[in-house]
Amino acid sequence: MGKSWLVSIVAALGLSFGMAQQTNLKACFIYVGPVGDVGWTFAHDEARRAAEKAIPGLQTQFVESVKPADTLATVDRLVSGGCNVIFTTSFDFMDQTLEAAKKYPDVIFAHASGFKRAPNMLTYMADFYQIYYLNGLMAGALTRSGKVGYVGAFPIPELKRHISAFALGVRAVNPRATVNVKWINAWFDPVKAREAAEALMAEGNDILAFTEDTASVIQTAARRKIPSFSHYNSMYRFAPDYVVSGQIVDWGVLYIDLLRKIQNGTYTTKNLQNVDYWWLAREKAVMLGAQTGMPINPKFEAALKRATMTVNGKRMSVYDRVMELNKDIMSANPKWDPFTGPIRDRNGVIRVPAGRRMTIKELNEMQWMAPGVVGQVPDEPK
Amino acid sequence: MEEILNALARAFSFGTPLLIACLGAIINERAGVVNLGVEGMMALGALAGFAVAFGSGLGDGNLWLALLAAMLAGALAALLHGFVTISLRANQFVSGLALTMLGLGVAGLLGKRFEGQPLFNQPPEWPFTLGAIGLAALLAFVFYATKIGLSLRSVGENPAAADLLGINVLLVRYAAVAAGGSLAGLAGAYLSLVYRPSWTDGMTGGLGWIAVALVVFVGWSPLRAVFGAVFFGLLYYLQFRLQGQGGIPSEVFASLPYILVILVLALSGLRRQQGNAPEALGRPYQRGER
Repeated sequence: MGKSWLVSIVAALGLSFGMAQQTNLKACFIYVGPVGDVGWTFAHDEARRAAEKAIPGLQTQFVESVKPADTLATVDRLVSGGCNVIFTTSFDFMDQTLEAAKKYPDVIFAHASGFKRAPNMLTYMADFYQIYYLNGLMAGALTRSGKVGYVGAFPIPELKRHISAFALGVRAVNPRATVNVKWINAWFDPVKAREAAEALMAEGNDILAFTEDTASVIQTAARRKIPSFSHYNSMYRFAPDYVVSGQIVDWGVLYIDLLRKIQNGTYTTKNLQNVDYWWLAREKAVMLGAQTGMPINPKFEAALKRATMTVNGKRMSVYDRVMELNKDIMSANPKWDPFTGPIRDRNGVIRVPAGRRMTIKELNEMQWMAPGVVGQVPDEPK
Repeated sequence: MEEILNALARAFSFGTPLLIACLGAIINERAGVVNLGVEGMMALGALAGFAVAFGSGLGDGNLWLALLAAMLAGALAALLHGFVTISLRANQFVSGLALTMLGLGVAGLLGKRFEGQPLFNQPPEWPFTLGAIGLAALLAFVFYATKIGLSLRSVGENPAAADLLGINVLLVRYAAVAAGGSLAGLAGAYLSLVYRPSWTDGMTGGLGWIAVALVVFVGWSPLRAVFGAVFFGLLYYLQFRLQGQGGIPSEVFASLPYILVILVLALSGLRRQQGNAPEALGRPYQRGER
């Protein structure tokens, strides 16, 4: 009994050594929230499972609901457990991930939504700002009161970018409309999200959109028969009659591409200093819709076809404009971008000069807000 | 005017789960047992209610079944607390804290398969609000005008004297704890079936703790609990309604309820009295021990 136990250990060791020579890849994921939050973490975990299926020889593991302060300790545990690729999937994990990358030079680190890199640490992000503009067009077409409500998690550059893109879309259709923002200062708090949505509706906002990790806004809006836009995952099923469209992420394509390149040796622990995955609709990392395969809820098609807007001096329906732009951003070489100058901020200062586009760095560090956005934000340049 | 009505409607909607859970906690605290596990029992109730409603498609008849399941889940969890604190005479505060963690953890684990599932046929909120207010009135009546209420209060004030009078102290405490737990479970079900019809891990979001604080705030009075819950609800709503308007930071409104609780506690401390706290609150009872 005792001996057979020893033998099997030795055999297992030998086996894992043999594997290590070939394709032994153990990718570990550190999540900021619970995997079932129907938002950010859920999407990352879905992608983790997709990658495990798609890549032979890939082993994965995850730790959920990790507090940013515990990042390094979690990394310690994962590395001692044999992880050789570690994904840290929240902005607030950034500094400790960098520290971990220095501590473990033989492990590859990948940090989502940040901007700090190292020879063995890359960054990646699937961003929605183009799609937010398309949703803004539709919101601008559907609002009767000219007031569109927005429930935001935290006033950070990512949300400023998304809300501003959304507001640029709203104003392209309806130049006098406003986007009214309420912050709940939480990524996940269904109760706060509901009361913030209620407050927005009480103020006369008749279309709602949001950036936080629950479906509360959709459910709350549907109770009052108010259309809304879903965020991050397929939330169509929460209110099939009232969800107009939204944005969906697919981290899977990004993770699979990354892990394949690590597996075949393209990416090593020495050459990641300048590797930044900034994936958009072109890479199929994000798409328009409240549900995969449904860019616009058919219930709203007629209204969007009736609504018109002026584009380069020509009248066209909002529906056609959304479809045209959606096709463009999904093409191999998109010609259009919502942050193409001239763009002024809401205080009238030129932020993007005519003929220029914002760089990824500028987008990542964006602090100004587009015209039409109403609501307090910190760090806004005057 | 419409604005005021709307704010009141929100206050009642948000105040309903607070009121239900608070009334439950008042019952067991009146009998001398503190149960800090409200948050955990709410989570269990929320999950049990949602699981039954989801599994049965929530027809009209099955809403009752879902609510019953939620109350049962809350009561069972509370009885565990009862066994540990009443029969084994363990520290009530520690056991209650453990119950919170246990309830949240178990609900999170068992609830995995229900996450991200919507619930249709959302029941309206007002019957729950009216029911909760009715319950508050009923409790006030029972406490002060019936023999059961007298027994309950005497067990909480002076269990030794109650025992001498022939009241079964342990039985009364068990019953009160179970009643408190079932109401906490019901409050949870209101969240997962009515207020925001879905289940997610952590959806109780600290409401259980507000309910626990509310008990002290309203001085263990069921009728004052109605006003307390609505007041908390109003402040909660106003932190969003007034955000970005009038220059008052919304954080002020967000923290006001807690500041008020501290203020009320400090005031009763200044008057050198423990408010209306039951005399034997938090103390286990053993015959022949003083």
